[in-house]
Amino acid sequence: MIRIRLERRLERHWWQTVLTPTLSVLAAFAAGAIFLAIKGFDPITVYRELFKASFTSTYGITDSLTIAVPLILTGLAAAVVFRMNLFNIGAEGQLYLGAIFGSWAGLALTDGLPTILGVAVVLIAGAVGGALWAAPAAVFKAYFGTSEIISTLMLTFIALYLMRYLIFGSNSYWRDPESANFPQGKKIPTSARFELFSDTRLHWGLAFAIAIALLIWVLIRFTSLGFDMNVVGSSDSAARYAGIPVRRTVIIALLISGALGGLAGATEVAGRAYALDPNGLELGLGFTGIVVAALARYNPFAIILVATFLGGLRNAGVALQGLPGDRVPVEVSLMLQGAILLFAIGGEIFSHHRLSISRANPAVVT
Amino acid sequence: MNDAVFVLTLAAAVGAAVPIALAALGELLAETSGVLNLGVEGMMLIGAVMAFQVGDASGSLWLALVVGGLAGALFSAIHAVLCVTLRANQIVSGLALVIFGTGLSTFIGKSIEGKPLDTDFTPIRWGFLADIPVLGPVLFDQDPMVYATIAIALVITFYLNRTKAGLAVRAVGESPGTADTMGVAVAAIRYVHVMLGGLLAGMAGAYLVLGQVPSWSQDGTTAGIGWIALALVVFASWRPLRVLLGAFLFGFARRANFWLQGEDWAPDIPAEFLSMLPYLLTIAVLVVWGSRDLRRRIGAPSALGVAYDRDER
Repeated sequence: MIRIRLERRLERHWWQTVLTPTLSVLAAFAAGAIFLAIKGFDPITVYRELFKASFTSTYGITDSLTIAVPLILTGLAAAVVFRMNLFNIGAEGQLYLGAIFGSWAGLALTDGLPTILGVAVVLIAGAVGGALWAAPAAVFKAYFGTSEIISTLMLTFIALYLMRYLIFGSNSYWRDPESANFPQGKKIPTSARFELFSDTRLHWGLAFAIAIALLIWVLIRFTSLGFDMNVVGSSDSAARYAGIPVRRTVIIALLISGALGGLAGATEVAGRAYALDPNGLELGLGFTGIVVAALARYNPFAIILVATFLGGLRNAGVALQGLPGDRVPVEVSLMLQGAILLFAIGGEIFSHHRLSISRANPAVVT
Repeated sequence: MNDAVFVLTLAAAVGAAVPIALAALGELLAETSGVLNLGVEGMMLIGAVMAFQVGDASGSLWLALVVGGLAGALFSAIHAVLCVTLRANQIVSGLALVIFGTGLSTFIGKSIEGKPLDTDFTPIRWGFLADIPVLGPVLFDQDPMVYATIAIALVITFYLNRTKAGLAVRAVGESPGTADTMGVAVAAIRYVHVMLGGLLAGMAGAYLVLGQVPSWSQDGTTAGIGWIALALVVFASWRPLRVLLGAFLFGFARRANFWLQGEDWAPDIPAEFLSMLPYLLTIAVLVVWGSRDLRRRIGAPSALGVAYDRDER
């Protein structure tokens, strides 16, 4: 009889941390190829076009980076709390609130301001909106132990209907009064918009998102709040014993996470949509942030790389639509993302366990 | 007050409760064995899209329902492999299942999006019982899946409380180490119950596209029902019959807009706000019933969410 079992590895090598995500990406592409083939597409052609569309031309690369901007921020939103075993999966809703607050601030407060100030106002308002939307979940979690997983998700649905109401369901302040038949958001003034890089769609939000990633890294590594968050994450009781205010730390962490989600919405408004645009915002950027964070193993710098990669994947989904012949659905990129994540989770255990295959004597009972 | 509309709303609430109840009963089975599966929404979507294709091709509702259930079970096996065998984080794995399920089902269902399905479950009329005012249309003139769901809840209650196998499942959820010592196959029981959960979630998704909204669209079909089902398990304190009651409450919240929009006394509430009702209700229910202290008292399985590793017993 052959026995296969998982054994704890005694030593870990640095390359294992790189190998697992890489292999999971490859495995996911292999799995995706099966589904593509079943639906009658040639996987190799699709993957080649996918890569070409996102990563070879200047416009492809800058478009991928443009989508990476909100993904870096929602990735950070997930990473900050997931590493503490707090699961804010509502970055999607916090992003909507960030867009609602950000576009309001852009419309109401920034006229005549210099651009740098105008954009700052939009971003701050967005962060406040996102944090406010995470606040109920944070308070319920800290004081009643209510599962933040479900509450943040329910708040996402509520945010979705709120945003639709503001544009499609009412003559709100956000809605362009000229757009009666096809309701649209009112455009924010140029003073509230990120500047673009030459003639591409890429905007300065990229630099902002990278700076925020750096800031989060500093917060986690070098501040006492970051230390408290680590301790609370590894053990509630140890934290309490060490005199760390657990409730306050949980609430602050979730508010920071919400603010990051809100910033993602605000950068979309200031950099791409220039208005509260439900159709342009309901892209699942918040949910993709979870994939980004998990693949990057919650490391802020890895998040920048993974967000760019997944941004390219998403960008390619759209670009593939332009191909001649049968249309490859945009959703192929969402499917691949899910598969990558599943393989990454499955592969995780092999970074600290290894398979041991041995011939065991069935007579010996272990 | 418009009585007729109110009764119609109640009757519609029973139908709307079926998918919520089925998905929650499935999750209850998985959680009782100690495995938290947040992937309900993903399993429902896979069940829905497969059932729609089979229903569309064969015209047989029952075949479609079975295929939807099997697809859900197969899909949930991913979670079982990751969490039981590979001992991955159950929360992250469940989330991944939702993301993959959303992508895969939309990819599979692209060609059938918005296509109508002209078959529907025929209601069973219980003779003169169906003519009783209010109770008749609400309870005795519903489609077969309503009665099937009630039967499933009864069977699960009996199974978990009165059979030896059910006792073993609960032992695995409470203390896998002890169960293992007693010779119970922990991993096998967890696999089976995660997949039974997937089966019921798949059927819930199938019922949505076959009976409730007879067409497929990724964001409109489930609309967060899988997540509501998760909250419902907590609300029902892991008891199958309370799941039915809770599901009716949520079903009513989902259908209340029909009734409220026709009422003179009701303030003119925008449709978007009425759509928020079930989600608000879920948060309220979780805050009250899902608190840490209460959870322990109302009977959450002790080993819920914890992977079992024999070496670390």
